Amino acid sequence: MATVSFQQASRIYPKAERPAVDALDLEIADGEFLVLVGPSGCGKSTSLRMLAGLEEVDTGSIVIGDRDVTDSPPKERDIAMVFQNYALYPHMTVEENMGFALKLAGISKDERATRVREAAKILDLEPYLARRPKALSGGQRQRVAMGRAIVRNPQVFLMDEPLSNLDAKLRVQTRTQIAALQRRLGTTTVYVTHDQVEAMTMGDRVAVLKDGVLQQCDTPGELYDRPANVFVAGFIGSPAMNLVTGDAVDGGVQVGNAVLPVPREQLTRAAASNGKVTVGFRPEAVRLAGPGEGLPVRVDVVEQLGSDAFLYTSLADAPDDVLHSADLVVRTEPRSAVTTGQQLWLSTDRGAVHVFDAQTQQRVD
Amino acid sequence: MATLAPPVPDAGRSPSPAAPATRRRHRGGSKAGKPGPVTYTLLTLVALVSIFPLYWTLVAGSHTNAEIAATPPPFLPNASLFDNFQAALEQAPIGKAILNSVLVAGSITVGTVLFCTLAGFAFAKLQFRGKGVLLGLVIGTMMVPTQLAVIPLFMMIAELQWVNQLQAVILPTLVSAFGVFFMRQYLISALPNELLEAGRVDGASTFRIFWSIVVPVARPAMAVLAMLTFLTAWNEFFWPLIALTTANPTVQVALAGLGSGYVPQRSVIMAGTLLGTLPVLIVFTILGKQIVGGIMQGAVKG
Repeated sequence: MATVSFQQASRIYPKAERPAVDALDLEIADGEFLVLVGPSGCGKSTSLRMLAGLEEVDTGSIVIGDRDVTDSPPKERDIAMVFQNYALYPHMTVEENMGFALKLAGISKDERATRVREAAKILDLEPYLARRPKALSGGQRQRVAMGRAIVRNPQVFLMDEPLSNLDAKLRVQTRTQIAALQRRLGTTTVYVTHDQVEAMTMGDRVAVLKDGVLQQCDTPGELYDRPANVFVAGFIGSPAMNLVTGDAVDGGVQVGNAVLPVPREQLTRAAASNGKVTVGFRPEAVRLAGPGEGLPVRVDVVEQLGSDAFLYTSLADAPDDVLHSADLVVRTEPRSAVTTGQQLWLSTDRGAVHVFDAQTQQRVD
Repeated sequence: MATLAPPVPDAGRSPSPAAPATRRRHRGGSKAGKPGPVTYTLLTLVALVSIFPLYWTLVAGSHTNAEIAATPPPFLPNASLFDNFQAALEQAPIGKAILNSVLVAGSITVGTVLFCTLAGFAFAKLQFRGKGVLLGLVIGTMMVPTQLAVIPLFMMIAELQWVNQLQAVILPTLVSAFGVFFMRQYLISALPNELLEAGRVDGASTFRIFWSIVVPVARPAMAVLAMLTFLTAWNEFFWPLIALTTANPTVQVALAGLGSGYVPQRSVIMAGTLLGTLPVLIVFTILGKQIVGGIMQGAVKG
């Protein structure tokens, strides 16, 4: 068990215009489950590979426990990694796959067998120990990859999108299993995913990256309730937060012909840069208002999910040049009578509006 | 994977048309359906044409010289085979030549497969300075004809006093540019980087990764390269003829001295050729089984 610390760590690929990971500062506590999340190309996998020693650290340093491992090869870092495509050795049985690292570490055959069997028991792999990877299902292969990591009892687990090759149902199942396993073993874990649902459900804390830069690192609840900037606000949550940008006017933000109310103090500070303000509100924070009150919208699509219904709407009176991208999503009661093409008026819950400076994209409280 | 189609030895081809037909059916999916009579006829024809030279060697080697010259020529093997074997063995040290050839071709095969896999792995997966230039140089050597190297090579061999010794034909061919390129191409596509990274995270050194991960993955290509190399080395004539003498020959050098005289004894030459071909046929039968496809299946989700 150990803490992990990125200290101004950067990775610049040769001939690249900007760093893949830019001065990353991240402290991961002992036993913590930290998720790195972001869109493709945001540097999350590169960060993980830097921690694994598979990628050089150009500037800054990485510390595991109290040891600076910036220039150490992977085998000296006491880490275990689960790869996206599992990377099981095709010519070895499940048992050999799981025991390979122990064999290299010079651990005796008996001890190896015991530890592999223990791990296999935890992961329900005992009947498959003599099989080769090609004789296993996707889910079983994934568990072997997990087993290969836990059998070593390392200081840190590194997982690079380990669920992305599973089908949707198995993914949800395995998600909870991995989280439970991590709690049980108490091993510090860094987990990379592009799936924000995975990030929110698994992590003690979630670090959101974009273009190699850390945007925010916080608990899932805090990320959801208080996103630090427009990117995090739009990335976390499904369906995404509604974000609209407009001019600051008296009492709120001008959206089309209507005004979204924003508290004066927030509005003043948010509009300080260039007079424009971005406001965000989650689909569940929107209420249907009476005719003529609030934002007039037209319903484009109605999505019935059984437990909820989502209305995908667009501003009814928006001029062509403004806000054509501002499709607003509204969560309503299931089986509501709303139909496609209908005109509605929306209002937002008062405390539920997030305000951002439209220029700096930063949150204003 | 087109480069990996098992090489077709001109004499060792199985005459059964059923095997390729079945494979084709699997590969082509259900669209093509079952192969029809045309496919079978064509495949049978190709198989017969491929196997005929070997069969003719057997027929000619089992008749006397006069019988082969008759019109029409014989089409079935005869009883004179062992007499002709005897004659061939008396006229040239074929036993010794086969032993020499096994040693020479065997050493060259082991060396080539080992060194080419090592170099191919380095060129395919390791990062080092000057990699592109070095690979270009290696491939460039393929453009230099062997004949050009014969004189300097012979001078070196003479200097080392290796003339008429087997190392003179083994050492110059222990690694081949083609083999390096072939293994590189195979490993680039067949060996996922994650597998090497998994090895590194598991604590393996580069050599350990090579031995425990790369070699098992490369085995099908190594088997193909081994077959090609063995066949080439076994059939090599020009350089062994220069470096060795008929007292210590390889099979091809020995066969060259066979049946010579005022009238070439074709039946004896054919019997000798048959003797010289048998070991190759045996090697191909064994190695053919080693070409196990699908060994990579299941390594990474595909």
